[in-house]
Amino acid sequence: MTVYDFYLFDRNGNCLYYAEWNRRKQPGISKDEEFKLMYGMIFSIKSFINRISPKDVQDGFLNFRTSKYKLHFYETPSGLKLVMNTDLNVGNVRDVLQHVFSSLYVEHVVKNPLTELGETITSELFRSKMDEYVRGLPFFAPKAS
Amino acid sequence: MADEVPFEFLHMELVAHIHNTSTKEENDTCIAKLESLGYRVGLSLIERFTKDCSRFKDELDMMKFICKDFWNLVYKKQIDNLRTNHQGVYVLQDNKFRFLTQLSNGKQYMEAAPKYLAFPCGLIRGALCSLGINCIVTAEVSAMPACKFQIQIQRL
Amino acid sequence: MSRQAARTGDPRKVNGELFTLTYGALVAQLMKDYENDDEVNKQLEKMGYNIGVRIIEDFLARANSGRCNDFRDVADVISKVAFKMYLGITPVVSNWSPAGDEFSLLLENNPLTDFVELPEGHDSLNYSNILCGVLKGALEMIQMDVDVKFVQDHLKGDNITEVRLKFIKRLEDAVPVGED
Repeated sequence: MTVYDFYLFDRNGNCLYYAEWNRRKQPGISKDEEFKLMYGMIFSIKSFINRISPKDVQDGFLNFRTSKYKLHFYETPSGLKLVMNTDLNVGNVRDVLQHVFSSLYVEHVVKNPLTELGETITSELFRSKMDEYVRGLPFFAPKAS
Repeated sequence: MADEVPFEFLHMELVAHIHNTSTKEENDTCIAKLESLGYRVGLSLIERFTKDCSRFKDELDMMKFICKDFWNLVYKKQIDNLRTNHQGVYVLQDNKFRFLTQLSNGKQYMEAAPKYLAFPCGLIRGALCSLGINCIVTAEVSAMPACKFQIQIQRL
Repeated sequence: MSRQAARTGDPRKVNGELFTLTYGALVAQLMKDYENDDEVNKQLEKMGYNIGVRIIEDFLARANSGRCNDFRDVADVISKVAFKMYLGITPVVSNWSPAGDEFSLLLENNPLTDFVELPEGHDSLNYSNILCGVLKGALEMIQMDVDVKFVQDHLKGDNITEVRLKFIKRLEDAVPVGED
């Protein structure tokens, strides 16, 4: 099991933060282009899912899977969107994404007066906390040695 | 009122406001303004919190009070290390100073650190002043979030 | 009583005083920096707004309040959860407009104004105006455009302090480029 990458978007679609771990293949487009596509897709899936739902939507879009990877999604009421790609064996990571928001983003970005909200996160402290947290996840499983 | 988050955000805004309303060259003026705001707050806070300074047997006892009770109230922790040269200089070391913990874990943003230390320096000076000690307080950072506050007693 | 306890009193209370005194020092500074009360009110609201857009994230991270279905839910959460959590008070929600888009928060005691007396000649100063900004900023982050203002203030001799909130509109997420 492992984590491939992680994206954090604000409610205006700006990618505030991106990190990758065991992502072996690059898409061959610029990062900006990739962020735009990712946000566009998330946005569309979200609204499509809400529209076709036969019942009132509760949590809405949570994740999707292909034969190779699984994409997990979590959105806060303030419109912050967290996306994590993992391999197929990883279960529900809602708690993980919630933790990233409440303990890492709030503590080290929101409460850091030197980070402007809505701008790319440059705090090394946040980057290192995030990396430490993801590498410590039970399903991160270091590469076979 | 129980929560420390409003105070943290208020302090953040206070620093931003003081700096936004002045031009770059006036950095020292900003620091002085924040320090004097801290001084006023420290002064009245201590007045409310201990009126009777006869409880303190000497200067060192007051310093211990700043390191323990006062620090605990304001920052939810104690000073990690207190040193003195016994000639009126005290150095208070906080290994995880609350206004710096969210900023950085090392050298990043180092140039911004003094902005967030001016108000706390003033708080100490105000607190000590209301206990009858005149002093100058300065802060020094070599790697965040650790910070040293130096208190120099002014004897008349 | 131990010496320690005698010295420090109730730490929660003193922590509140730290906030109140710091706020007081800020208002005093603004009154020095700006010519008139209106300008001070504006600055306080602006600073409140900046706090609001950040503190809402802290609130969402800590309070498990669930989704609000309507403005009445919002009023309840503001009063019973948010004010309680951050200021230790629970304002009374009252004076609903018939359409349900306007209400008041009644503050019996306002922790911002402990030990405060307005100096002479500052009748238009809204001492606690920062609260309006905080509420506006916080609600905007959860997609609500709301107008917030003081209509009564204990400091000005009114019997109670009243903050009025008026719902204006829902804000929508930005649509990504190339979609509609």
